[in-house]
Amino acid sequence: MFIAFIAASQTEDHGILCLTYSQEIACFSYDDKHGFHLDDSSLQWYYPAELGADLSTGFETFDKHDDSADEHLDSLLKTVMSYEEEEGKKLDAQVVTWRGMMTKIMSVPFEDRDGFEMNATLYQDCIFIEENHAYKQASKEEQQRQQQQQQQGRRGQFPPEVMAYWGYKFEALSCLPRPWGEVDREYIEKRGEKIVSNKAQYCSVVRTGLGKTVMCLGGEVDAIWDSKPTQKGAPINWIELKTSVEIRDDRSMNNFERKLMKFWIQSFLLGVPKIIVGFRSQQGILTKLEEIQTAKIPETAAKRGVKSWDANMCINFASAFLEWLKNTINDEGVWRIRRRPHSQAIEVFRVEEV
Amino acid sequence: MGIPAAFRWLSTKYPKIISPVVEDKPIVMDDGSVIPVDTTRPNPNGEEFDNLYLDMNGIVHPCSHPEDRPAPADEEEMMLEIFKYTDRVVNMVRPRKLLMIAIDGVAPRAKMNQQRSRRFRSAQEAEEKAADKEELLKMIKQQNGGILPPETLESLTKKAFDSNSITPGTPFMDILALSLRYWCAYKLNTDPGWANMKIIISDATVPGEGEHKIMNFVRSQRSSPDHDPNTRHVIYGLDADLIMLGLATHEPHFRVLREDVFAQDSRARTCKICGQKGHEARNCRGEAKVKDGEFDEKDKAVPLKPFIWLHVSVLREYLAVELDVPGLPFRFDLERALDDWVFMCFFVGNDFLPHLPALEIRENGIDTLTAIWRDNLPFMGGYVTKDGHVDLERAQYIFDGLAKQENAIFKRRKESEDRREAGFKRRKLQEQQRYGHAQGGRGRGGGFDSGLPSGLPKALTHDMVVNRAPTTTDANVANKSAAAVLKSQIQGLMPTPEAESTATNGSAEKVAPEAGTPPSALGKRKASMIDADAASTPGNSSASGDAPEAEDSVRLWEDGYADRYYERKFHVDPKDLDFRRKVAWAYVEGLAWVLRYYFQGCPSWEWFYPYHYAPFAEDFKDIAKMEINFEKGRIARPFEQLMSVQPAASRHVLPSVFHDLMTSPESPIIDFYPEEFEVDLNGKKMAWQGVALLPFIDMPRLLAAIKDRYPKLSPEDAARNDRGTEVLILSEANHDLYDDIISHFYSKKQGDPKYKLDPRVSQGLSGKIEKLLEYLPHGTLEYPLERKGMPNLDDDRSLTVNYEIPASSHNHKSMLLRGLQPPVAALNRSDIEELKGKLRNSGRSHGGA
Ligand SMILES: [Mg+2]
Repeated sequence: MFIAFIAASQTEDHGILCLTYSQEIACFSYDDKHGFHLDDSSLQWYYPAELGADLSTGFETFDKHDDSADEHLDSLLKTVMSYEEEEGKKLDAQVVTWRGMMTKIMSVPFEDRDGFEMNATLYQDCIFIEENHAYKQASKEEQQRQQQQQQQGRRGQFPPEVMAYWGYKFEALSCLPRPWGEVDREYIEKRGEKIVSNKAQYCSVVRTGLGKTVMCLGGEVDAIWDSKPTQKGAPINWIELKTSVEIRDDRSMNNFERKLMKFWIQSFLLGVPKIIVGFRSQQGILTKLEEIQTAKIPETAAKRGVKSWDANMCINFASAFLEWLKNTINDEGVWRIRRRPHSQAIEVFRVEEV
Repeated sequence: MGIPAAFRWLSTKYPKIISPVVEDKPIVMDDGSVIPVDTTRPNPNGEEFDNLYLDMNGIVHPCSHPEDRPAPADEEEMMLEIFKYTDRVVNMVRPRKLLMIAIDGVAPRAKMNQQRSRRFRSAQEAEEKAADKEELLKMIKQQNGGILPPETLESLTKKAFDSNSITPGTPFMDILALSLRYWCAYKLNTDPGWANMKIIISDATVPGEGEHKIMNFVRSQRSSPDHDPNTRHVIYGLDADLIMLGLATHEPHFRVLREDVFAQDSRARTCKICGQKGHEARNCRGEAKVKDGEFDEKDKAVPLKPFIWLHVSVLREYLAVELDVPGLPFRFDLERALDDWVFMCFFVGNDFLPHLPALEIRENGIDTLTAIWRDNLPFMGGYVTKDGHVDLERAQYIFDGLAKQENAIFKRRKESEDRREAGFKRRKLQEQQRYGHAQGGRGRGGGFDSGLPSGLPKALTHDMVVNRAPTTTDANVANKSAAAVLKSQIQGLMPTPEAESTATNGSAEKVAPEAGTPPSALGKRKASMIDADAASTPGNSSASGDAPEAEDSVRLWEDGYADRYYERKFHVDPKDLDFRRKVAWAYVEGLAWVLRYYFQGCPSWEWFYPYHYAPFAEDFKDIAKMEINFEKGRIARPFEQLMSVQPAASRHVLPSVFHDLMTSPESPIIDFYPEEFEVDLNGKKMAWQGVALLPFIDMPRLLAAIKDRYPKLSPEDAARNDRGTEVLILSEANHDLYDDIISHFYSKKQGDPKYKLDPRVSQGLSGKIEKLLEYLPHGTLEYPLERKGMPNLDDDRSLTVNYEIPASSHNHKSMLLRGLQPPVAALNRSDIEELKGKLRNSGRSHGGA
């Protein structure tokens, strides 16, 4: 069986779709050795970084998580199971996946450079979707090869690994392990000297809806603004941290506006209300901080006449796709969801029988 | 810092920190009915405020002796005055979230020394005032053929309210706390402008000075992640220091609210003798007043004193310019620089230490220090202070810089004093030449144009006995000294040859020396407290009385002053340099104590500076070798504080079981309560500027002496000696929080009797609350005072619980919070240029820093 869902046909406006706001139902943490804990121990608090910081500092000692092993949906499933046990009932989600998968799907109408491959399976009326690890590894290698080629062309540019480090460094400079009131001045002032690691993570598991589909998404959140509300399901003031090159001309402005689509989708899906963008110079020096309200990104983009993307279309497309997917995946075999680079279609086909 | 001096200095140097308060006033209709201010409407000042903090002693004190009307007749009348005044302040600010009322509780020991000195002096003054009145009555009688005319004012014969009872542990403070709780609940029930406000009352049973309890609260909220960094704070109080405390919070949206000290002079005031309007003290005949209209509408037409804002945010802007040092080898951090500046302001004066001899606020002492700081900052390697802790090595730079200039400062001070003196004499002479001696040499100082017939006039008025200086610029001083002026002038009128001879020798403020007074109650005092209106004429040297230090024998402007200073003031061998260092180290400890007190809360309740005088800047040697550690210590109980600060004359504020300890010659601590004590002018002109040489309380001895009296206390008295807690009061209209608390404490499935507030339910307020046993929802709100000046309410729709300020386990940090939206800049380019112009030569008048 081979079925294609054509992106282009689904880009007309379906009017206002039913959106459920994301509610955290559970969370888990990876510690600084990437060990799993069913708690919020790796939660971090936001406190702004000092401007003028060199984001490359400490790259040599970067304690990078080795993501070559396939982690599947393990942590997410463990957390959901524990949630169901505690609640004494099954979660009503029709789709369970990482936030990153949904981000890829939501950006399909406006992003055709990269492809993706996912595996999906139906189990007890719920579709579980994970990334096809082999594909991911392969495309990563391919990407690195291309970047190296480009690198040879442009002199003075930072290697891609260093530029990737900037984001982690910015996070290290912007976060505290406890609320500001419970942290010593010395810690705050010496954040720049801390060894940067991406092993520890706090992950939020949320229940949310897109169109008529109820989803359970898991994803990392960088920090919290104030405190988690005691009331269950109340919105949480999460912070998403991003870095971006300073806007100096139309070209960088356009690039940033395209980037905002990704920022918006990611934060929208987990219910992160605020994004802090650390603008950096070409040399990786932090020059400016900007707070952006997630909810305002679409309207601001519309007001500015941004043509490169449209939030409603992202939502409509993803809703329709999920609707279609629920009809398509009808047995407990393993299915592949694939989009080839530059293709207008998402293909879904069975790769393994029940 | 002296209040008027500090305000004057700040507002001259940083003019834009002050702006007038726009105040909506109640509208009086033609039929006499009053439409109260609707505080639910937008604030007329163009900005809304969240929290209002009242340093309540700044309301209670002025209400006990108002400047523009008679003092309240009794405690109940006083409470009503307090309500009225508080209402006015709240209406001005219209806090949308929180009102905190903080009354001084027991103070740290370091403060008690100052309180003791103030109270001993004020008891002495009260005694004088009483004597003066008696004298006046005697004179009126004399004129009236030996009988007191019936129209003589009651207030002249009545005993004045003893403001010494405004101290923790007194029955008065009990009544005050009760009344305020009632009134706040009443307002929550009846004033829609109050409905959403949460009220915290920290009464005198909660230890700590009012403004510092407020600071503790602000710090506690600040360290909670749920605190809104853009909270708009207003603090009301009289201390000039509040603006420093405001800076110390590092909450830029912070204002100080107070009466306009500079507006007083132009206002119509009442007579200081009888408290009536229509005449000034010098024209007082002590007569009962003529009724104003049928019902004698007391306050009709008295214009209310205007209020001003002091903007901490604007001061921050000025200081950002002033403290900016370019080319630092470390990152410039305005918050840290501000802390250093606040620290240096302590050198110039604070409530806990005598100020350094070289530093006077009037002589721009703060500028001197700031210049030293700026010059040394690049070499110090960092800031002098950090979150309320002093880096002694860096502080040494500041002392060294000051020491280099100390000599020159003293010399220059003398020179300008001499110049002032000469100018004063010259003007005096000119005046005398202008008016001649028309009065025929009768005992009048020059400068008055009304003729005085010889012999006592038919109808004696105070114009004839009060010989006032024609210009009074400092209302506070004028206020303080009214009784003394009166007294001295009565003496001047009495036909004693000494009085006559001294009163003619030139100075308008000249008072008769004690030696010349008739043997009356007035003669008994030892150290003269007479200060007169002479504050406006510092060249005058009359006020020394017969104090032993009448002549300034130290002469700071002459070489060898340090030797003389230590010999005369400390009675220590001038060769004993170790002693000097000991004094300096104690002083450094004091500065460290004050700094921590301001930034972290009281570091030690028992620490105090054990000398009456400060060291010289040059005595601060090797201070980096010091190790400063404070122990929290024991917080005094209210009666212990009362015993430590009150003179025997005010013993009525204490339960009678303690009285004999203050009066009996057999009392083991009788030496703590001298009837007579020396006031050392210490180079100053006015007695109130001098140093009261009272013995320091030896706390263990005091505690030992009162220990066995405790069991003899009545249960009510014993209760007043106990420690209390803050209370939180809110209205039913504050639905979320009200319902939350009711369901916790009063529903069928009650929770713990104590729980942590959820900041999302309480609009960001953090802290713990506890069920109050004596409170029941929807009960009767009873007016606690006798004369039922205000009603009871049958169905009280307010709620009262105990409230506990969250304790922070961490140091408070002088940093801005994330999410702060900086206040809109108030200074423009020309303001900044003007300040920079002032800075170019400021603080450097005494040679290189
Ligand atoms: Mg006070």
